[in-house]
Amino acid sequence: MKRILAVDDSSSVRQMVTFTLRNAGYEVAEAVDGKDGLAKAGGGKFDFIITDLNMPQMDGIQMIAAVRKLPGYGFVPILMLTTESQAEKKDAGRKAGATGWIVKPFNAAQLIAVAQKLIR
Amino acid sequence: MTKAGSERVANVLEGATRRLQMLAKEGEGRIASVAKGFEGLAGHTNKILDLTSAIVESLESDRLRSVFPKVQALGASARLFFEERLKATTTILGAVEVEAKLLRQFSAVTRRQAGIALKTSVLTMFTNIEVGRLGEDGSGFQHLAQTLTEFSKTLTDDTEELARHIEARKPTLEATRRALSAELPSLQQELARLDVHLGDDMEALQEGLTRLSEAPMQFRMCVDDIAQQVAQVVSAIQSHDITRQQMEHVEEAFTLIASKMRDGRGKKPGKDASLAYGGLKIQMYQLQNIQATVTAWTSQIRSCIDIILSVSASDVAGISPLVLQREQEVSSRLLHIEQLEREGEGYSERIRKTVGGRSTLIALVSEHTEKSKLVRHHLHLLSLNSIIEASRLGRQADAVFEIASSISDISVEWGNVTEQSETAMKEILRLMEKTSETMQVFAEGGDERLNEAQVQTRAGLRELKTVAAFAAQQAEEIESVTAKMRAMTSDVVNNGSLLDASYSKVDGVLSAVGELKVQMETADPELERGISAHEMESLFASSYTTQMERDVMHAALHGMPLPVAEQLGAGNSVELF
Repeated sequence: MKRILAVDDSSSVRQMVTFTLRNAGYEVAEAVDGKDGLAKAGGGKFDFIITDLNMPQMDGIQMIAAVRKLPGYGFVPILMLTTESQAEKKDAGRKAGATGWIVKPFNAAQLIAVAQKLIR
Repeated sequence: MTKAGSERVANVLEGATRRLQMLAKEGEGRIASVAKGFEGLAGHTNKILDLTSAIVESLESDRLRSVFPKVQALGASARLFFEERLKATTTILGAVEVEAKLLRQFSAVTRRQAGIALKTSVLTMFTNIEVGRLGEDGSGFQHLAQTLTEFSKTLTDDTEELARHIEARKPTLEATRRALSAELPSLQQELARLDVHLGDDMEALQEGLTRLSEAPMQFRMCVDDIAQQVAQVVSAIQSHDITRQQMEHVEEAFTLIASKMRDGRGKKPGKDASLAYGGLKIQMYQLQNIQATVTAWTSQIRSCIDIILSVSASDVAGISPLVLQREQEVSSRLLHIEQLEREGEGYSERIRKTVGGRSTLIALVSEHTEKSKLVRHHLHLLSLNSIIEASRLGRQADAVFEIASSISDISVEWGNVTEQSETAMKEILRLMEKTSETMQVFAEGGDERLNEAQVQTRAGLRELKTVAAFAAQQAEEIESVTAKMRAMTSDVVNNGSLLDASYSKVDGVLSAVGELKVQMETADPELERGISAHEMESLFASSYTTQMERDVMHAALHGMPLPVAEQLGAGNSVELF
């Protein structure tokens, strides 16, 4: 079963990401912020990461940059799920190594379709 | 603004911040409960959909799909079966009536033949007397007398036998004729009734099976509908995160304003007041927007959950009783058709008995007619021989001439009777041919098409029954899951109400901040003029993470109406880099 890491400081958003992707047949692990996300990514292999941008301790962009440096994470798809819609933030995310961007709230069917497309 | 005024503003805003922090914490707990409840609810919905899907899958099997054409074929065969019998019964009654009439004619014929046979016996006696009187001269006539004796005996026997059969046949035929004449109108009415019932049966069946065949389509629509509602709830629950951030930014703004008011301590009273006033104006707009947004998404969660729950009461969840009901309906219709068939068979049996006894009589009449033709021929020869013998005997043959003349008369009379008998015979044979064709309808195995259709339908019904039993089993589970869903829904709705109640506390904050704003306006009516939109934006916008917050700030600073969150949809799409 493919593994997905959902990183968000909002428990309700993590719940919804997990609910959506578990129903689609994925194993989903949760992390409460960027630091926790980085630790979990380092502790095990994930096939797909979805992360918030604004989080305490370590934000999403910092986490992505750090995760990309982890062995085996060079090409793992990472989506940013955020309330932010500003172009400069999006650009920063892309530069850090994000694969895509979703402005909250996400469309469940779309998220599943993208996960299916990106996870091979 | 005075130092005391600044302090008062800072105090009010710090108090508001604390209330907002408490509210946010409470809201976080409530939304987590709503989300958890929703997850459970969605899990149960999935379970119901899985159970229903299994029913629908069994409904969509090819074997089950063929039930409808089978039942249709049964209906067509049954209808034809009854129509043919109704028509045949009418034809047969006509034939029976004609046959009774012909038999009466045959009775008259046999009576006349019996009379002729009697005359022939008397003639035989006279011939024998004459042979005795003539002695040696009458030896030639003696042979004639002997022939006449034998012939008379045969004629009497044959005629008596036929008369006996005709008489025996007459009561049966007459009874059937009377019974059929009396019963046919009611039989016709009965068959017409059966035909109407059959029509009703077929119509009801078609409707039932059509409804059943629509179930998979309804199910798919229902699945799409539920998926849409689930997506909307997922989207609404996420919206809490946006609201949470928006509220945090209001708290940060209050803290910032309070801090600036305290730090300034009346050094730049006009500027401080404008900053506080502008900031309050923006934050009040933000709080009003938060309230509107929360109302929108809690209401969306409620309506989606209502729709999801309505699935339990929908036709799709009720599919198993529907399958059971249709199976029972089809089975009872089949029983009805079988009962109608048995009733029809009762009439068929009576008709078979009536018409069946006829063939023996027809054979006998036919044989008698052939013999009658032969008798006519013999009588003719006898008549000629007696005339020749009388001529040979000359003057002694007056009596013989009398006998010869009588034989000739008998021959002519017999010939007439035989012609009548032959005409009647031909009519009987024509009728026989006609009724034989008609009787094919009542022949054994004549209802093969109906029997085959019944066998096929029973096989189809067995499939339907299996599906119905499976559906019933699934239905029990659906019912149990539905009960759990209902219990869970009330929890989710309660948590939704508590969430609403939590966010209604924003009113208290708004009221306190609004009061402060009015006090500031009263103290300095020119405060509005001192606001610098640019300065405000650079001060507050840096923390904003959503476009909505920016739009609300813009509206507050430029005196525009409050932007309200649009009806939430199923969420935003992914943009891949």
